[in-house]
Amino acid sequence: MTKKIFRSVFTVALVVLLASIGIATSFIYDYFNDFQVKRLKAELSLVADTVNEVGVEYFENFDSTVFRFTVVDPVGDVLYDTQVNASEMENHADREEIAEAFESGAGSSARNSSTLTEKTFYEAVRLENGDVLRISVSQLTVGALVLGMLPAIIAIILIAAIVAGVLSHATARKVTEPLMQLDLEHPSENSTYEELTPILTKLHKQHKQIRSQMETLRRKSDEFEQIVSSMNEGLVLLDEHGMVLSMNAAAMKIFAVKGETVGSDFLLVDRTSKMSKAIWNALEGSRSEYTEERSGSEYQFTVNPIESVGRVLGAVILVFDISDRAFAERNRQEFTANVTHELKTPLQSIIGSAELLENGLVRPEDTGRFVGNIRKEATRLVSLINDIIRLSQLDENHEPATESVELTEVAKEVVEVLTVSATKRNVTLCMEGEPQTIYGVRRYIYEIIYNLCDNAIRYNVDGGRVEVRIGRDNGHASVSVKDTGIGIAPEHQNRIFERFYRVDKSHSKETGGTGLGLSIVKHAVQFHSGRIELDSEPGKGTTVTVTF
Amino acid sequence: MRSRFDEQLSLLNRKMIQMGAECEELIAFVAKALLNGDVESAGKVKEQGREIDEMEREIEAICLKLLLQQQPVAKDLRVISAALKMITDMERIGDQAEDIAEIIPFLLGRTGAEFADFKPMAEATCKMVTDSMDAYVRQDLDLAKAVIKHDDIVDDAFGRMKDMLIKMISENNADGEYAVDLLMIAKYFERIGDHAVNIAEWVEFSVTGVHKGV
Repeated sequence: MTKKIFRSVFTVALVVLLASIGIATSFIYDYFNDFQVKRLKAELSLVADTVNEVGVEYFENFDSTVFRFTVVDPVGDVLYDTQVNASEMENHADREEIAEAFESGAGSSARNSSTLTEKTFYEAVRLENGDVLRISVSQLTVGALVLGMLPAIIAIILIAAIVAGVLSHATARKVTEPLMQLDLEHPSENSTYEELTPILTKLHKQHKQIRSQMETLRRKSDEFEQIVSSMNEGLVLLDEHGMVLSMNAAAMKIFAVKGETVGSDFLLVDRTSKMSKAIWNALEGSRSEYTEERSGSEYQFTVNPIESVGRVLGAVILVFDISDRAFAERNRQEFTANVTHELKTPLQSIIGSAELLENGLVRPEDTGRFVGNIRKEATRLVSLINDIIRLSQLDENHEPATESVELTEVAKEVVEVLTVSATKRNVTLCMEGEPQTIYGVRRYIYEIIYNLCDNAIRYNVDGGRVEVRIGRDNGHASVSVKDTGIGIAPEHQNRIFERFYRVDKSHSKETGGTGLGLSIVKHAVQFHSGRIELDSEPGKGTTVTVTF
Repeated sequence: MRSRFDEQLSLLNRKMIQMGAECEELIAFVAKALLNGDVESAGKVKEQGREIDEMEREIEAICLKLLLQQQPVAKDLRVISAALKMITDMERIGDQAEDIAEIIPFLLGRTGAEFADFKPMAEATCKMVTDSMDAYVRQDLDLAKAVIKHDDIVDDAFGRMKDMLIKMISENNADGEYAVDLLMIAKYFERIGDHAVNIAEWVEFSVTGVHKGV
């Protein structure tokens, strides 16, 4: 812009300069011409008067270098000339000014010399004797004049050009300086040319708009970042070449990467062939899913394509920790297997005995034993089924009616019922503690105490003891059942509340029981939002404390 | 032109990583089948072995094309020539893993006390293969050196295995075929370890420009 302004100002200055020189020259030249003609006329009339009085002899001692006088007779022959010998001159009758003077008394003309460098002005007047007196003066023509002045003109033009250059440069600078110093970051705070105000205002508006849009974007990406980083699931975004766009903390933990991965190939993060194939599939536009074990946990990897208007823009990898789900799944499978096994065993025994009886293979004196066997197994089956029903009721979590339950009363009832079997195994069963009332389901509480005591008696030693204590623990009612039995090894303590779990699998038949007792206890306690504490040492005994 | 070259180099890199991953998985899979006496899954490695062979040819083609068309120099040339050497080692690892898998059925699912020494050996070998691939992926010089050092463990394990088998045969408490099969497997593991060392050395070469073997 500075250049352009400079150039135009400079050109204008030069053009103006040249034009004014030209115009001035022509004006001055014209003026001088006029002046010359006037002077000629004045001189001529003066000389003519003198010649009229004195005659041609006047010119004898006339010294004229500037003007040239010629006297011509009416025929046209030159009578006298101040510069050239008159006899050598040709007839002048056809000269314009002379012819004019003969005719009207006065004439004038101007002619260029043959070389065009000089111009001669002529003035003629008719004398009283009929001759014509002519005065003439030569001067340079415009072209010659200009040519003669050329060095001076060039010098002037050069000086003017330099001055114009400096000045126009300064002007251009001055014009553009405010523009150069515009503060575009704060367009509204500038005070420069009025003409710029609309642009600056618009700029200011756009600035504000951009800033607010940036703010919105930043907030959104922050939000995304927040959500993604606090996710437990691993999330990785890939572009269409499989480069990592974003990876959250959970994913970094799962893939065991340290440091920055954004921008690098996902292959560098994880190169398992399953993952490569899944990503490849996703980039082709189809979803894939697989599970894999990594550092002790079970993970589900889902790789989805990110599509927009029919084009795959990238892929998203989601990683879920499904260890718990896999564990639950295994548990369920185990439970089904156990249930069928537990239900089948007594039935097989019943069928066996019944077949023997049917085929008459049993001696009459043994019949009672076999029938007893059938009854025993059938009872076992019923109790097993009852337990399963109770468990599934607890599983379903439907709300039975709650009431005030007095714990010692329930405990007494249990003790009464179990005394027979306790005596049979030579185990002393006793109960102590003061009455505690809680709000709950009587049947469930009975179930808890019954199962705990039943286990305590069942897994006791000969001559052992079982103590039931009802008390208060930190303001909560508690029931603890302490035995002097065989105890539970630490590795089993976590699992005994699982369904059908048996510490000693080979002798389960001997001790009886369904393997569901503690599972029922656990559920019943959970229903009352209670807590179970197990304190056991193999060979010394077990104390189970339930706090409500 | 250059960008196309870079593109092809990164494709080569990706293929190398994928092939390495295949080898890693194959050897881990075979080792697991061996230790569990799993005859059934040992039969499934054929497919993977073929895939590795195919990848070798594919990478070879990429390397040759790069060498011919781009005439790489300095580090690029090192990377490509190292890749050419490494795929041979990877392919051998795959083959030997397959060979082990072929022997597994003849063991008839036996996983006796002799296997106590196999477990650390197989684990050490798998670790070497994984580490050599990690060293390649991350261009990690220290890890490559660690792999080269780690070979002693596998070699020692092979020595112990051999002594044990000699003792077993001389005490005549096992049939000879079984003992020889076990020896073969041990030898294969030892060879796989050596190939992993080779890979690590080529990683070293592509990073530093100095090959240990020279």
